[in-house]
Amino acid sequence: MSHSHDHDHEHDHEHPAAPMVEEITDFEVLEIAVRELAIEKGLFTAEDHRKFTEWAEQIGPAAGSRLVAKAWTDPAYKARVLNDAVEACKEIGIDWTEPTGSGTPSDYMNLRVLEDTPTLHHVIVCTLCSCYPRPLLGHSPYWYRSPNYRRRLIRWPRQVLAEFGLLMSPEVEIRVEDSNQKCRFMVLPARPGGTEGWSEEQLAEIVTRDTMIGVALPRAGRTADDTRPVHKARRPVPHETEARP
Amino acid sequence: MTATVGDTPIKLLETLHAEDHAWANIAPRYGVTDADPPWKVSLYATLECLSVGEALPSLERRHIEDRLGETLYRQIPGPEQQLLSLAHILLSRGLLSEQDLSERLRTVRQRLEAG
Repeated sequence: MSHSHDHDHEHDHEHPAAPMVEEITDFEVLEIAVRELAIEKGLFTAEDHRKFTEWAEQIGPAAGSRLVAKAWTDPAYKARVLNDAVEACKEIGIDWTEPTGSGTPSDYMNLRVLEDTPTLHHVIVCTLCSCYPRPLLGHSPYWYRSPNYRRRLIRWPRQVLAEFGLLMSPEVEIRVEDSNQKCRFMVLPARPGGTEGWSEEQLAEIVTRDTMIGVALPRAGRTADDTRPVHKARRPVPHETEARP
Repeated sequence: MTATVGDTPIKLLETLHAEDHAWANIAPRYGVTDADPPWKVSLYATLECLSVGEALPSLERRHIEDRLGETLYRQIPGPEQQLLSLAHILLSRGLLSEQDLSERLRTVRQRLEAG
């Protein structure tokens, strides 16, 4: 096999490389060793492993968004979601018992969907570690796993939500659900005004990951791909070059 | 195979630089801010594969992990604790042998350090 490398490697790497851990840890070695031996013993195949890895790296919150959008438009479906969420997930193509492509048996097959109302707001956390409804929401964000969020949310929920820019009125009760080792939770936010007549696809676009964790509320016109707001500094500090006459 | 997994320390696993090599401790030394070690997804995949093949059902594993995490591997952070527990279970149940694992640890390190 011949490779045609006629481009100049030098100029491709002018920016500094991202920092890396420059030593081989015992855990990196252990993970490879255990996996290779398990494959050699016939416990699974390298192809199985590759498929699971590919799946695990690409899952996101799209399935959760579909579930919420369907529950908003179909009251009978919403009732099924609240009654038996794992079973209701199958209707949107997520089978928690079937790994790759849909669910994963590593997650407990006990999901409860928490319905927000005008006077009750839910937010989820895992105070112990990082339990999260992966088949529906993908991988948890970094802050969800941080001690800052895990320790403080249960004690000062309003303050923590305010740090996410979510200011809840005092009349709204805030309920924090702590995902324990046996149960996963997801928030079913209230459908926002201004979305009357929208299709499920349109609704799903505004059901972002954070709205299903409970640190944000869905809003007509706001999607995860929104342009990020830029606020100009009120007292900008001029760059040295600009400050020169 | 569902042999009981005890809390007796396994000599081979005790020789690892567990706390010092844990991602939470080693990553900051290199200015790396990723929350998880790069091998974590691969470990997840291994766990899924073992469960699907019924060599080690997830629920059973999690119960043992929880117990070992409160006893033997209490001082070790998340993904490392999970990996140590997995190795502990596989060795305790005879799905892997200490001798094989010891030899493989040596050859994998050799391979990674080559060149």
